Amino acid sequence: MVERGLLLLILAVAAFYLSEAIRLPLGATARPGAGWYPTAVAVFACIVALIAAVQAFRAPVVRRVRDTGGDAPARRRRVLATVMALVAFCFVLPSIGYPIAALAFTVAMLIGLGSRWPVAMGTGVAAALGSYYLFAVLLDVPLPRGPW
Amino acid sequence: MGPIEGLLYGFGIAFTPVNLFACFVGVLVGTVVGVLPGIGPVGAMALLLPSTYALDPATALIMLAGIYYGAMYGGSTTAILVNVPGEAGSVVTLLDGYQMTRRGRAGAALAIAAVGSFVAGTLGVVGVMLAAGWLADVAVAFGPPEYFAITLGGLLLLSRLSGGSLVHAFVMVAIGLALGTVGMDSISALRRFTFGSVQLSQGIDLVPVIMGLYGVAEVLLLAEEGIKRASIATVRLREMFPTRGEWRESAAPIARGSLVGFLSGLVPGPAAVLSTFISYTLEKKLSKTPERFGQGAVAGVAGPEAANNAATAGAMVPLLSLGIPFSPATAILLGALVIHGLQPGPLMISQRPEVFWGFIASMYIGNFMLLVLNLPLVGIFVSVLRLPQHVLATLVMLLCLVGAFSLSNSYLDLWVLTLFGLFGYGLRKLRVDPSPLVVALVLGPMMEKTLRQALFITRGDVLDLVTRPLTAAILLIALAALIGPPLLSLVRRRPRAAAPAG
Repeated sequence: MVERGLLLLILAVAAFYLSEAIRLPLGATARPGAGWYPTAVAVFACIVALIAAVQAFRAPVVRRVRDTGGDAPARRRRVLATVMALVAFCFVLPSIGYPIAALAFTVAMLIGLGSRWPVAMGTGVAAALGSYYLFAVLLDVPLPRGPW
Repeated sequence: MGPIEGLLYGFGIAFTPVNLFACFVGVLVGTVVGVLPGIGPVGAMALLLPSTYALDPATALIMLAGIYYGAMYGGSTTAILVNVPGEAGSVVTLLDGYQMTRRGRAGAALAIAAVGSFVAGTLGVVGVMLAAGWLADVAVAFGPPEYFAITLGGLLLLSRLSGGSLVHAFVMVAIGLALGTVGMDSISALRRFTFGSVQLSQGIDLVPVIMGLYGVAEVLLLAEEGIKRASIATVRLREMFPTRGEWRESAAPIARGSLVGFLSGLVPGPAAVLSTFISYTLEKKLSKTPERFGQGAVAGVAGPEAANNAATAGAMVPLLSLGIPFSPATAILLGALVIHGLQPGPLMISQRPEVFWGFIASMYIGNFMLLVLNLPLVGIFVSVLRLPQHVLATLVMLLCLVGAFSLSNSYLDLWVLTLFGLFGYGLRKLRVDPSPLVVALVLGPMMEKTLRQALFITRGDVLDLVTRPLTAAILLIALAALIGPPLLSLVRRRPRAAAPAG
């Protein structure tokens, strides 16, 4: 099911990519324009994605994913918690700055993975301050500081 | 500059304190990354790429390459002691390595793996030194049609060799090529697929894509496992001496593994992994006691461990002489060189000898450092495994986020990282190798540029383009590799199908 869904998504993106590519100037074979190569790539992408999708739909449904054992819901919950922490970090970084976002991200991810609060807080503070010092101070990377 | 003269010049550069330190940091990080299951050398190289911006090109290359070949050393430690491959190139090592541990020969297995890696790594560097120089001399005569054929042929070969379904590999190639077209067209300066975004007009950066596909995807898999600690066998220094018989058994497999690995490295594909399987099969076939394989055969550790190290050296040949990376790890090295304003290729050896020869010399030094680090300090490296996986996963994810942002201080890179992390996780669950995507993303712009130039030269005559002697030879080899195996299996199947009727 996951494979079929992913391939259908890729096919849809390939079709959209083709529709955008053919709007670019094609030029001639002796003097290809900016759209010549993307169109060729888009046609290739549509063909291979279509073949892969047809193959996936014709094949019997086989669980190709790793054996998840008996704790599948807990595993899914942990992955979801990590993804949510990741997405939230991307959203809040510009507004609250790196140190606070990194602290919140680390704590949220550790709690989501089953850590206890004191461990998560301790690791979070050390990771946020340590990485800020390493990148912003030592390596001179301009990390967003937020309103503070 | 001849090889001996060049090497002496290179040692002069590699022995400067800053380059020695960079080499040490690279091999140390590489060993730790290799020891830790899940975090591969590609993710670690991508992670550390931003920290090399302030360094000289030679120093940056020395450090990043150290991570690559250092990981091969570290990977064997986890495979032998914990029965878990530290990285993909050590999957085969655990078959016999862990069995040796169960028989109380863990120290001997580690020593043989380290010495085999050292010998193969050193021989591999000799191969790079000779082959890269020769190939670069030949490649000076290459024009756009030949470069187009090499990039296209490389992608076709990679799709065949990356393992799994060929159609899936082609889908990965198509995505990589499409991503490579985003941004400003290098010839007409027209913006393509940018949807009005200024950041997208610079193109999609390779590093967040790699960090996502390898780093974030791996962290999501670690997160799935939750809180987990490994149980590790302890090894004392006095146990690290193989017997004379074990040394004798390992000598020939190390030599053969070095050759197999180096040759595998020259071909597009997951050379470090593929070479170990070839070496293991070869050793089993040549052995007088094949039944010992899987039960703790010394040759089953020595051959594959030599092969994966020699493969990392072999993979440097197309990168340094043609400027073409055939694996995600060498794609990062190419990215590092380009960021520093260098264009790897046939002219780099003559125009920037300090980078080429300094890098070659550093690989000798790095291999020696790894031997010294891995034998007596194995206990320290193994203790890294005692770090709980969920804490490790969280720290790696944070480093991925900072690393992706620090590339160009762009929030877009964070979203690219997240998107490709999720995509990479899906691919891992479906057991689809993402490396064709990465290589296609790197080679795509080069392929487009050389194709358009070649069509211009041949006045649009595609037949003229593909029938030039060299381009025809390259494309025929790639096509043979692509359609050869299915044709062979079809031919083999026919007599069997015909037999009952006859």
